[in-house]
Amino acid sequence: MLSRFSVGIIFAAAALAQAPVMPELPKGPATPGFDISRFAPTAVGTFETFYVKETYPLKKVLDEGKVSADTRLLVFTTAAGKLALITDQMTYHHIAQGQAHNKDWMATF
Amino acid sequence: MVPTIDGKLHHFTNAGLYNGLFTLYDAETHTLWNHITGEAEYGPLVGRTLGPPGNQLQMNVKQALEQDPKTEIAISDRVYFAGGKQFGTASGGIGPGRGGGGGQTPGGPNPESVMSDRFRGTLGKEDQRRPRMELGLGVWTATTRRYYPVARIREHSAAFLDRLDGRAVLIYIDPESNTPAALFVKSASAKMQEKDVLLDNGSVVRSGALLDRGGKRLAMDRPQQIFTRWYGFALTFTGGELFGQ
Repeated sequence: MLSRFSVGIIFAAAALAQAPVMPELPKGPATPGFDISRFAPTAVGTFETFYVKETYPLKKVLDEGKVSADTRLLVFTTAAGKLALITDQMTYHHIAQGQAHNKDWMATF
Repeated sequence: MVPTIDGKLHHFTNAGLYNGLFTLYDAETHTLWNHITGEAEYGPLVGRTLGPPGNQLQMNVKQALEQDPKTEIAISDRVYFAGGKQFGTASGGIGPGRGGGGGQTPGGPNPESVMSDRFRGTLGKEDQRRPRMELGLGVWTATTRRYYPVARIREHSAAFLDRLDGRAVLIYIDPESNTPAALFVKSASAKMQEKDVLLDNGSVVRSGALLDRGGKRLAMDRPQQIFTRWYGFALTFTGGELFGQ
């Protein structure tokens, strides 16, 4: 049986685990017209940036059935050529970062 | 965009909302950045840009391969659906309740979407020339910032030529992806015929690719563009041009 003390510990730990951590903001400066009071922060970890380590030929992935002809993509150009991301995944990540031919790239959605 | 500043790679996350748009935040300096222009807006790196932004075009797999058969793809662990099957293991992909500001659905942005209170509270003084949530194509150069509402593109038979900084630019709604797009062309007129955009120089835009009269794929030169809602464009490019007005 849990003691009153143990239950208190559990509740405290749960509260700590669920407390959202907001991004740490500096005290300016701001570009003209930017009003930091209108910025609505999102808890850290709500969205995870997609760090791209591997890419695959789109044609091969289509042939394997992992995408279909009508799968929606976000396509952009890196130093290695055209790269596609799946739009539905990017609605979660919002940001993807990677490197191609030793050049860093970032895509946002 | 280029996430490298003074030769050092920075790591970006979505830190919150401003003007109803998500805001980039780099872990190294805690600067807030505009995700459309790549400009630092708040923090120690104000005045810097993650540029050039580069085009991020929306299309489907078929079109991507038509345009460039060597296109690569990166797939994360997030759930997505293709061909009636579910892929990925991690939750957090698209869902019906997502996108308070954009209203994304599996078929694309929802034109009937209503902005949530959380997004609305971050808006600046809005430009009343068009409805807040209207969808359209924003195009910009060093000297021009112009918005083409989807409704006005459709009024022009979904394909027409305009001028952008002295160059002819084709504005059209891609019949397959239903996405507006802009493409520099050497032509005097354009018309939509079934799923093709026919140009008077004999070339054609088909499945997102530009083909000459012999069917050979041509290089495509596009202005900087983004498919976005009116509020997103108007609050990012204050006082920008509105096509047809």
